Amino acid sequence: MTSHDVRDVLNLPSDHSAGPRPTKKQKTGAPRPNLKGLAREVQNLGGDNPIAIVPDVSVFKKRRFASRKPAAKWELKGFKNSARSDDGALILRHWKRKTEDGAPVDREMRDGESQPAENGESTADGDVVKKEELEDSSFAKYNVQVSVPQYSEDQYRSNLQSDHWTKEETDYLLQLAKDYDLRWSIIWDRYDFQPKPSSEEGGEMADGTSTAVVQVSTITRTMEDLKARYYEVAAKMMAVQKPAQYMTRPEFELYEMMLNFNPAQERARKEFALNTMARSKDEAREEESLLLEIKRILARTERFNEERRELYNRLDYPHTETDINSFKSSTGLQQLLQNLMNVDKSKKRKSLMGPGDGSSPGGAAVSGSAVSETAPNDPRRRESIAASMPERVHGHGHRDSISGTPATPANETATPTAGANKKKGGAAQLQSERRKLTEQEEQIYGVTHHDRLGSGPTFRYEKINKLYSHKSGQQQLRITNALGELDVPARLVMPTAAVTAQFEVLWSAVTALVDLRKISDKIDAEIKIEEAKKAERDKARAAQSGSSKPDDAAKRTGDGESKGSEEEKDKEEDQDKEQRQNGDGEDKDPAEEPAVNGEGEEKEREGEDQGGLRPGSSSGGGAHKRSASVLSTTSDKSAKRQKK
Amino acid sequence: MAPPVGKRVKGVQVFRPFIYGTTAKPFDEKTNPKPAGVPDDHTHSWTVFVKGIDDVDIIYWLRRVQFKLHESIPNHVRMVEGEKGKPFIVQETGWGEFEITMKLYYVPESGEKPQTLYHHLRLHPYGRTEEEKEAMRVNGEGVISWVYEEQIFNEPYEAFYDVLTSGAMPNTTTTTTANDKRGGKGGKGGGGAKTKGGDKKEDGPKRSEGGVLEHSAMIPLLNRPGHPFSRETEQLEIKKLKDALVKVEDMTKKLADDLKKKEERLQQLKRQEAGEA
Repeated sequence: MTSHDVRDVLNLPSDHSAGPRPTKKQKTGAPRPNLKGLAREVQNLGGDNPIAIVPDVSVFKKRRFASRKPAAKWELKGFKNSARSDDGALILRHWKRKTEDGAPVDREMRDGESQPAENGESTADGDVVKKEELEDSSFAKYNVQVSVPQYSEDQYRSNLQSDHWTKEETDYLLQLAKDYDLRWSIIWDRYDFQPKPSSEEGGEMADGTSTAVVQVSTITRTMEDLKARYYEVAAKMMAVQKPAQYMTRPEFELYEMMLNFNPAQERARKEFALNTMARSKDEAREEESLLLEIKRILARTERFNEERRELYNRLDYPHTETDINSFKSSTGLQQLLQNLMNVDKSKKRKSLMGPGDGSSPGGAAVSGSAVSETAPNDPRRRESIAASMPERVHGHGHRDSISGTPATPANETATPTAGANKKKGGAAQLQSERRKLTEQEEQIYGVTHHDRLGSGPTFRYEKINKLYSHKSGQQQLRITNALGELDVPARLVMPTAAVTAQFEVLWSAVTALVDLRKISDKIDAEIKIEEAKKAERDKARAAQSGSSKPDDAAKRTGDGESKGSEEEKDKEEDQDKEQRQNGDGEDKDPAEEPAVNGEGEEKEREGEDQGGLRPGSSSGGGAHKRSASVLSTTSDKSAKRQKK
Repeated sequence: MAPPVGKRVKGVQVFRPFIYGTTAKPFDEKTNPKPAGVPDDHTHSWTVFVKGIDDVDIIYWLRRVQFKLHESIPNHVRMVEGEKGKPFIVQETGWGEFEITMKLYYVPESGEKPQTLYHHLRLHPYGRTEEEKEAMRVNGEGVISWVYEEQIFNEPYEAFYDVLTSGAMPNTTTTTTANDKRGGKGGKGGGGAKTKGGDKKEDGPKRSEGGVLEHSAMIPLLNRPGHPFSRETEQLEIKKLKDALVKVEDMTKKLADDLKKKEERLQQLKRQEAGEA
């Protein structure tokens, strides 16, 4: 039988024609290893592929009788069972291996060999009798007697009196326990105590009690009752024979157990067990589901508790050891409120991040199903947000398409939008594209990032224009002059970002320079004044004797100087000179003068200087007034000079 | 102004370099004959223009320019619509210099208001020194007054940002399709390079003669005749500014020293005066 045959049987089309079949068989047959342990037909079932599961190594069985010892001798031996109550009357025999201890074995062997079985019985009997003193059945040891507590009449009376049990019944119980080896089911089954009224009557007890006993005894005892009584008796007798404090540990444990026997509990346990066994399949299923429900409820309470704890934490938020005095003022309270709000905000945000916590905590706590309901809600909500986003971006016209397919997921709504309107789709794409600009691309497209920007189009050069426009006209002029000196063109040739930045640096430097120049010029002027004053003083000292024209001076000032003291007049003259000097300066430096006039600060300073020179000036107001008067005198003087 | 589309892209600034200015040429029998119909007192022909650097197209962000010429010129407000491959240009003849007001209108995607630039028409050679003037006179090109400027879009709207940051690199689509798309999208492709008859590269991103990518904010690396604004010029200017800065710092230092001495002198004088008084 080959694979072809199998194919034939199964009605499968054979891939080979009938012709080459025998040749093939020969071909494959020759090299195939001859596997042992398999019938050739079975091997052929494998077809072209040889069966690989055949074990290769053949192991021979070991020789059974490796050692050639003489056969062991066996003998028939009689034995008795001490467990039997017939006191060795029955003797049974069994075959036992002969022990190899010298003569007796030999003798016995000889006996066994020499004598026929029928004859040997008598002699064997004698042997057995002789040996039976030695040999007991090996199973006799399992005949264990229960040690039932024993008590004497006195002991019973002193210890074991009971309202429910008479001594007779107790005896009966103990007897049954002993008889049935404390197998309670059997004891309970066989328990059938029949009180003997006759003996009672004739005995020590009074009639009344005996009837009571009869009544009690008629009560059917449950197994628990029997056990309770027995344990009671046993425990008490144990205690009588050996006080509790002298008991060994296992003894005491036993004593305790018997003393604490609770028949009611035992009854309940059995009832439960019975119920469990007796429940139907449906009941079992229901119980299981109830258990699950309990588990769920417990889990929910756990979460609820957690939330409640968080709420409590929130309620008494500042768990600080620092003193609360800082919160007692109104500003402190304000700050505290700010803190609380911040914390609240961050908490909210955090809880929003978690998808499950997105639903309100109260909702989750109210019912378990709420949790499972919000979970499927969430994606829908997200989707609606996603749907409204492109809507907002692209303006109107998409509402219908979105509302038409409210259940489609977010990404699905996005793609049709892009497909429907390429331009708007491009706008949507832009958002993702915008993030993708590489550094090189940013450079090519001239994209830069700034912290703060005023939106709208501007020109690069406007920045520089602003630099100028923030300065006063005078300063602008000076700065342009300075820049001209430096051979910097008035307008930058290429106001690129780099150039403008560089220009700004230069600009600030030039501004500083111009400011410095201004100060320098001022000091120059002051020095000139001081030098002139010095020269004047020298002159005055030289021509101490004659004052030239004090009246003239008094007239000229026109400030209403009443006190025409000499010194004052001198001072007036000084001033006169001063003014002239200033006038000189004006001629020399025409650019400087308007600046001086234009700037209040300088005016004030100069005024103060001059005021310092004329402490007695009667116009006597503030420094401003004085300076004003000085200026007016200047103009007066110049005007008068011109008249002259 | 178009209604704003979408949101502004926060914290982002995009710039585009461009050139505006005037070129003037005196009428000359040989080189620049006066055309018929020009009044006798007109001495120069001049043009005012706004164009992309290196002649690249800027109409993808600049839609039209309004040139406000001197009121004596007929039809003195000229609106020039953006045309593919051409600068915004006005050609005129005249005899006097004046300030031209240019109002730049951006593409509707930008959602931005028009901005105004001012430029002084130069007909006569100018400069701070005589040499500069002389050089300008000798130069056959005429009187050139060109200004490099950068248009800055602060926080452009998203759609406009998209326009400003695409088209130069063939990163998203293949080159050919990108070009096609540009052509189809209202003729934003095809730049000055084409009109100049210069290099027209079929593969790779489109560049102008100076190597500036279309739709980019690039500046040519080197100067070429007729294109004086480049990285070269920029570097030169930065160098100049740096030199000037060094000079200024020197001067400041010197001045500060001087000032100290002067102040000392002043104090001395004042003390003398106080002592004498």
